[in-house]
Amino acid sequence: MQSAWISTHLKASRPQALAALNRYFQDIDLAEDAFQEASIRAVKSWTIETIPKDPAAWLIVTGRNYGIDQIRKRKRETLTAPEDLSPVPDEVNTSDCLADDLDRAHFRDDILRLLFTCCHPVLRKDQQIALSLKIVAGLTVDEIARAFLVQPKTMEQRITRAKKRIQAAKLSYEEPDSAQRADRLHAVANAIYLVFNEGYSASQGEELIRETLCEEAIRLTRLLVRLFPEEPELRGLLSLCLIQHSRRRARLCDSGKPVTLEHQDRAYWDRTLIAEGNVLLEAALLKRTPGPLQIEAAIAATHTRAKSFAETDWAEIERLYRALDLIRPSPVVKLNRAVVLARLKGPQHALELLEPLSAPLERYASYHAARASMLHELGSQEEARLAYEQALKHAGTATERDYIRAQIDKMK
Amino acid sequence: MLFSVLIYNNETLVDALSKEEMEEIMSKHGTFHQHTKTGNNFGAAVKLMSTGTALTMHRDNNDVVVTDGPFAETKEQFLGLYLIEYPTLEDAMEAVKLLPIEHGRVEIRPVDFFEGADFRNGERMVVNEAFLDGVDTMPADT
Repeated sequence: MQSAWISTHLKASRPQALAALNRYFQDIDLAEDAFQEASIRAVKSWTIETIPKDPAAWLIVTGRNYGIDQIRKRKRETLTAPEDLSPVPDEVNTSDCLADDLDRAHFRDDILRLLFTCCHPVLRKDQQIALSLKIVAGLTVDEIARAFLVQPKTMEQRITRAKKRIQAAKLSYEEPDSAQRADRLHAVANAIYLVFNEGYSASQGEELIRETLCEEAIRLTRLLVRLFPEEPELRGLLSLCLIQHSRRRARLCDSGKPVTLEHQDRAYWDRTLIAEGNVLLEAALLKRTPGPLQIEAAIAATHTRAKSFAETDWAEIERLYRALDLIRPSPVVKLNRAVVLARLKGPQHALELLEPLSAPLERYASYHAARASMLHELGSQEEARLAYEQALKHAGTATERDYIRAQIDKMK
Repeated sequence: MLFSVLIYNNETLVDALSKEEMEEIMSKHGTFHQHTKTGNNFGAAVKLMSTGTALTMHRDNNDVVVTDGPFAETKEQFLGLYLIEYPTLEDAMEAVKLLPIEHGRVEIRPVDFFEGADFRNGERMVVNEAFLDGVDTMPADT
């Protein structure tokens, strides 16, 4: 139990300590090594009674000293003249640098820089997710590999390549201005949402590790909301994640098969998370600067207000999808809106809206499945069957294929 | 005398707790609930939502200024409180020893004025019943 508490302190301090080390060394790899070494020393020297009052500060100082030693060693290996060693910073005085490192203003930008480094636009989406989970959340390569159903070695390579790309991009360590800060926050929020969705979509991988992804995404968002409470999109993101996560017990039936929103037993929805998600959204909306995450949260919140699927306020949801499509136009949003409109105005009207989406969503199983169900409702059985076959062809996972086959069976 | 028991901790640490650690903490709160309810010393228990949900309101001349988040940026956040009634500070301190005071910071502060439900005789009101399962093992209406 004792060592468990110490590892919890290490886990909680990780983003802050790594972020400070990253600023100090301007090298994410060295920062990670330094944090790793500091953690090992912490496990050796801390006991439950002697955990430092400020564990993050202890880790920063210890990690910094280790990192400086590493830099010295590298210089000694490459240089012959001992006087060339002088540019390395002086021996760190523990009490002096504490005040500097734990300066709250630094802290905000440090964390943001660390996260932004991990989900920098030069990285592919899968690299962003992997790097955020590895560096910020501290998941092991094995854990991340299990979440993505790839070999640990493959994941290791993905992370190494992502780090190389970051180094090649030569990121700026300057303090960001407010416009840059806002851009970074949006990039980071989107990347965290990707992490959450990777866990939430439950399309592959082990159940347990996928729930971990959702929880890590929520933990990171909570940290960001605490640091940047004035940014409504972050509150929107937290609201969205909490409301989606509130359905986790209702989303799988006893046999482990997914249950669609329509058939979920709403008694299993976690009301504590729903209450928090709703009040966060309300607080975000007070700022009157809507964004895509706030609107998505509002859609999720609208579902929580309906006692049953039949009582869903589809008109409100349609308005929200329309707003989302205005702010961030996308074929998938248009598809979702059409599906809602099929409920409000009938399948004929919705089918017309699907027409222009056929090219961009040609390989998107949900597009074909939605189209098939509308055609079926209109009595065009043969066309519906063909559309379901298209859906089956593009479905990425066994779960999706099972769902589509069940729909086809219902037609017979 | 009525005492408030104010609970502070680092929210980032609380977010990082494992299920087992959370259970360990909750079981101590459960013992505290049981002890104070058995002795009819229990007034109220309040667990606050995350500080991310908080707003701060202030009037500046005639304008209401709303800022996001809690007012002070401190390392520890105010997470919740108990109200307990004991004849002496010493008795209250004895009860508070049952709480997980090895973590964070727990402040005992006497209550100067209180108006609310008559918890000595009245019926209890519970917001968020689901949470209660974790801490409360007492039968209702005691």
